[in-house]
Amino acid sequence: MSSLLVLDKVVKRFGGIVATNGLSFHVDRGESLALIGPNGAGKTTIFSLIMGEHRQNSGTIKLNGEEISHLPTHKRIQKGVARTYQVPRPFSEMDVAGNIRVGMMPDNLWKMITQSADPDAELTIARSVGFRDEDLLRKPSELSMGDLRKLELARTLAAKPEIMLLDEVFAGLTVGEIEQISDLLAQKRKEGLTYIIVSHDLRALEPLVDRAVAMTFGRAIAEGSFIEVMDDEAVRSAYLGQ
Amino acid sequence: MARPLLGWAIFAVAMLLLPQFVSNGTLRIIIFANFLAIFAMSWDFISGKTGYISFGHPFLIGIGAYTSAILSYRFGMPVSLSIPLAVLATMVGGTLFFLPALRIKGTYFALVTLAFMELMYQLVQVIRPDLTGGTRGISGIKTILSGAAPNFYLSFGLMFAIGLALWLLSRTRLGTALDAISMNEEAVSGSGLNTTRLKLFAFMVSALVAGLGGAFYVHYLGSIAPRALFDINFVFTIIVSVLIGGSATIIGPIMGAFFMTFLLEYLRPLLPGSERYLVYGMIALVLYVYQPKGIMQILKNLSLRTRGPQTGRSGNV
Ligand SMILES: Nc1ncnc2c1ncn2[C@@H]1O[C@H](COP(=O)(O)OP(=O)(O)OP(=O)(O)O)[C@@H](O)[C@H]1O
Ligand SMILES: [Mg+2]
Repeated sequence: MSSLLVLDKVVKRFGGIVATNGLSFHVDRGESLALIGPNGAGKTTIFSLIMGEHRQNSGTIKLNGEEISHLPTHKRIQKGVARTYQVPRPFSEMDVAGNIRVGMMPDNLWKMITQSADPDAELTIARSVGFRDEDLLRKPSELSMGDLRKLELARTLAAKPEIMLLDEVFAGLTVGEIEQISDLLAQKRKEGLTYIIVSHDLRALEPLVDRAVAMTFGRAIAEGSFIEVMDDEAVRSAYLGQ
Repeated sequence: MARPLLGWAIFAVAMLLLPQFVSNGTLRIIIFANFLAIFAMSWDFISGKTGYISFGHPFLIGIGAYTSAILSYRFGMPVSLSIPLAVLATMVGGTLFFLPALRIKGTYFALVTLAFMELMYQLVQVIRPDLTGGTRGISGIKTILSGAAPNFYLSFGLMFAIGLALWLLSRTRLGTALDAISMNEEAVSGSGLNTTRLKLFAFMVSALVAGLGGAFYVHYLGSIAPRALFDINFVFTIIVSVLIGGSATIIGPIMGAFFMTFLLEYLRPLLPGSERYLVYGMIALVLYVYQPKGIMQILKNLSLRTRGPQTGRSGNV
């Protein structure tokens, strides 16, 4: 199996803080990977580096064998990677359908002008994350945290990524909502979507991943099956030491 | 879609009949309103839509006005050539105007655009005053038409064509993407869209409109002077027109421009001095506080109240 995403010795410093400290890992095509670690371990930073929202100080990031570190964010998305945000960031004045519409847009001014939006496709994506039809007209300010997370997922799925980076998709959700999103991810996984998922909800994570990488202070401390990683001595002490 | 288009058609017919019913004096006022509406729409397409607030729009308007004035007055070029060249020059200027938007946002961007306007004001007076006329400006510039009614039709036709085009453009997905930039630019890149290209496009469209407006305006007035053009009061009149009309709506700025022009005109006999600007500022402020989304929203609410709420999915106006 070929690796879809490969990070090699990636370093990112914020002033004196080393948020990513020579981290290397890979994700194979069709694989799902859990990225776990205590608060401040550097999980979100890695997503920002992969998306090009921050640039690493050194190290390489390859997608489909191609170095993407020099590309701006929108180009990386066109190459097949997209992320959700730990803190949902919807377009506040647009309804759910409008938010999904932006996610679906082609990066081509001419097509944006001449081809109209596709309400059916918007509806399909909205339903796939568990929205009801009447939710399409609701504004972000009227949505619960669960709905905002669904909207994040919908907007990200709209870009049709090969690999999705999911940051704390379960935080602030009810048990029912966690189940709903888990089902959706299980479904997408079956359809062949590759993803990296970050979550503090280890129980929800376990059935959703093939493999896990644990990290603290910007370094990987364990890698393997989810069970192996959870049993690892270093991982246990990192979590307890939190 | 059909109902708003009917609205545009009714607006056009009503305006075209207007010269039958009102005095030439009123027509002259409306001509100013038409030009202010053009400038306000130009501003709205950058600042209302993408949220990059321009305090220096007269920079763009000035390039259009001066280029056409100089080409026709100094070099005897026909207006049919000088205006297109002026628009081109404005779009080149729009590219310069765009450069700071690559790096800075918010207040900083607004201040830099203000600096553009001040710089232009100084340059016009210092560099080649033999061309620009320096501080005194140029008068005796060729006018395109004479008489109130013909100029009313010309300015209205221009304003209407620009308004309809911008309104249609802002209803496409491109308009949605520009709106999205004002809400969360990072998330627009995060949706795979090149925000630099989107912003550049918005700036080019805005410059095109400002250039057209500036060039036609100077050939209506027949004269140009830097102090009146590169003036912060002019900037505020444009911005306030958009805000009280309803920003990012294109139609709002047209209504705002008419409202502002007539307000200033009716205040004139009561308050001949510059206190007028104080009163108009206060009226605008009260209106803005009452409904931050402007006259557009007030009218929408009224129509909802009288007709009952609309059902079904509809785009933003
Ligand atoms: N933009 C930034 N500027 C400065 N420091 C930052 C920035 N982003 C992250 N950091 C720091 O980098 C370290 C890693 O942060 P990061 O958000 O990646 O952790 P995380 O694993 O996602 O934590 P959490 O589980 O709380 O979300 C932290 O010490 C954080 O304070
Ligand atoms: Mg995080």
